Amino acid sequence: MRAQFARALEMVPERLVAHLGLSVAAVAVAALVAAGLVLVMAAWPRVRGLVLGVVGVVQTIPALALLALFYPFLLAVSAVSERYLGVSVPALGFLPALLALALYALLPLVRGGADGLGSVPAATLDAADGIGMTRGQRLRLVELPLAAPIMMGGLRTAMVWTIGAATLATTVGQKSLGDLIFAGLQLQDWALVLVGCAAAAGLAIWVDAALGRIEAGLRGRRSGAVWLGVAALVALGVAVGGLSVGGLFLQGVGQASGAGSAASGRTETVSKPVVVGAKNFGEQYVLAALIAERLRGQGLEVEVRAGLGSAVAFKALAAGDVDIYVDYSGTLWGAALGRTAPAPRGEMLDVLRRELPARHGVNVAAALGFENAYALAMQRARARALGIKSLDDLARRAGALRLATDIEFQSREEWAALQRVYGLRFAGLESYTPVLMVRALTSGRADVITAFSSDGRIAADNLVLLEDTRGALPAYDALLLVGPKRPWLAARVAGLEGQIDVAMMREANWMVDRGEDKRTPEQAAAWLADKLAY
Amino acid sequence: MVAIEFQAAQVVRGGRVILGPLDLRVAVGGLVAVAGASGAGKTTLLRLVNRMMAADAGRVLVAGVDVASGDGAALRRGIGYAAQGVGLFPHWTVAENIGAVPRLLGWGAGRTRERVSALLRMMELPQAMAGRMPGALSGGQASRVGLARALAAGPKLLLLDEPFAALDPETRTGLADRIEAMHRAEGLTTLIVTHDLADALTRASRIVVMEAGLVVADGTPAAILADAQPAVRALVASPLALARKLAALQR
Repeated sequence: MRAQFARALEMVPERLVAHLGLSVAAVAVAALVAAGLVLVMAAWPRVRGLVLGVVGVVQTIPALALLALFYPFLLAVSAVSERYLGVSVPALGFLPALLALALYALLPLVRGGADGLGSVPAATLDAADGIGMTRGQRLRLVELPLAAPIMMGGLRTAMVWTIGAATLATTVGQKSLGDLIFAGLQLQDWALVLVGCAAAAGLAIWVDAALGRIEAGLRGRRSGAVWLGVAALVALGVAVGGLSVGGLFLQGVGQASGAGSAASGRTETVSKPVVVGAKNFGEQYVLAALIAERLRGQGLEVEVRAGLGSAVAFKALAAGDVDIYVDYSGTLWGAALGRTAPAPRGEMLDVLRRELPARHGVNVAAALGFENAYALAMQRARARALGIKSLDDLARRAGALRLATDIEFQSREEWAALQRVYGLRFAGLESYTPVLMVRALTSGRADVITAFSSDGRIAADNLVLLEDTRGALPAYDALLLVGPKRPWLAARVAGLEGQIDVAMMREANWMVDRGEDKRTPEQAAAWLADKLAY
Repeated sequence: MVAIEFQAAQVVRGGRVILGPLDLRVAVGGLVAVAGASGAGKTTLLRLVNRMMAADAGRVLVAGVDVASGDGAALRRGIGYAAQGVGLFPHWTVAENIGAVPRLLGWGAGRTRERVSALLRMMELPQAMAGRMPGALSGGQASRVGLARALAAGPKLLLLDEPFAALDPETRTGLADRIEAMHRAEGLTTLIVTHDLADALTRASRIVVMEAGLVVADGTPAAILADAQPAVRALVASPLALARKLAALQR
């Protein structure tokens, strides 16, 4: 446990710097826009309702969705700007995170500005006009100073929201404290989650307290409190700045010591490191670590962007923001090729190998050799007792059995297909989070559960997957994909073709998923690498 | 000499004439009260003088110059104005409030400080009040600071919008004394808008009574008291009744 905390703490400084930088930049951008909107509202009070309405609607979009939406939006912008200006816009990482968070921070800032200006008494404004202040003097000398405490309150809310929401930037490939939280949740590494949350919360509390001090000082016209708040912010800036400089220094040392290998000629001259992507679950973290290590072994500079949203990952690859990652044939069939009718496993692979390069410039470098498919699972002893080996057997008994599924399964095409092809009708149907699903099975609350075929718990909990004899469920072969910018990477990893069978993947997954004697994805990847034939 | 002149001035809002056409001349040195019920157009009349409102027809002249001809803010800096409800700037000290117009005019700190000090004295306020915040003042004190602010840059024309509203009788009398004293000491032409005639009758040299945007009576306090129009009678009824009761008590 201590080692887990040490590892988690090691990840904090770099991400804390990125997190705070992103949050401050987003609120600064939002504040500029909000200032413009507030001035417009002050000049034309009629548009007030409209502006607050539009900004309010933005707020109702879940932050996670807002971030995910900015990715395709920026891709489109990039395509247009590249065509007409010859300049491409980065669609993954800092920019989409910045824009989405800025949009999200707009409401408290605009509302604080509008409420602040609205709070100035009419008699005060009348006096300001009556003694001969110009419109600008009135704003500068009277309205802004009087509105400042309420505006500060808005800034404070915006800052705290943004620091919280910035954890979601991980899903669009931007470094943040969310890296720890997302990785921890997927790997059930509570030390990571705890440290990530504590760091984000601590940051938010510190900034909130400092801004609160400034707000109270402005309200009570006590300059001491204002300066105390400012000092607290400066201290934070210096501390984080120190971390950032320290980090750069360490990086510099690392690069200097790595220069020896460069001189030996193995290192290839690449301007930017190769980006290995990973979606947001354990197996992806392990595979990304495996690929990254393999490429490093070939002298390449590699960066891992883990925790990508499922919808973002393929687009990121096709756009060249990510160079290589693992996805699954069944997912690509629908998401990348837009197919709905299922196809047999072999045909699906052939079509993907042919059409992904043509339509997206993406190449299938290797089929790793295992599937991570939806399946139905039972406890081995119980399945044997009931004489159930396949879904056909299950269909005959289902009327007396209860099924527990993960939350999305019942709305997926797979469930419709199972009901259609096998005529499955269960006595009971409930949905659980994946962690609790196995518990529902072992505790007897359910007889059958949905499972992923490469899940480590299948072997560990002595479960058996029921055979899909009629091929109702699509194949989910793990495919190593290479993006259009560095197609030569395919040759570097082609040796992985067919190398990882499902038993090996299950065991590696179990290493990072299990509660005791937990391994990091890098450790699991190293174990896996040892097992590989080449 | 004419300080203020309205020439067929008219204000229209939403297609309706809310003031005028109005012809009125105020002589230099006059202490003129503009009286009338709420909504009679008193404040509109006052605001035409320093162009916080613009006439839709006709002209308003101050010292012979059309107020529409120059910069509005510059015009207002040259005219003393005490807002309805006082409207002191709550984030500025008493001294900063009084010194607001000198600051806008770019006076030096020393000159401003001397003027603030003199005004506090004339308003019979303690010098120590200079550093206080408006929130710490009583209603009467705030009104006097408002009056001092209006006079800080030494205007020749003073506009007061309902200066006695929300003050108790004793404080009203004290403030009225200050206004009268300042009017004389600074050689002002003063226009006071009030809905209550009691103070106007005893202090003003001339009273203008308004109803529905028009002047219905205009004359000395004695002439107004003798006026037979219903609108004027309604306004003087309550001060007259009070005077009669007081006289009866003294007998």
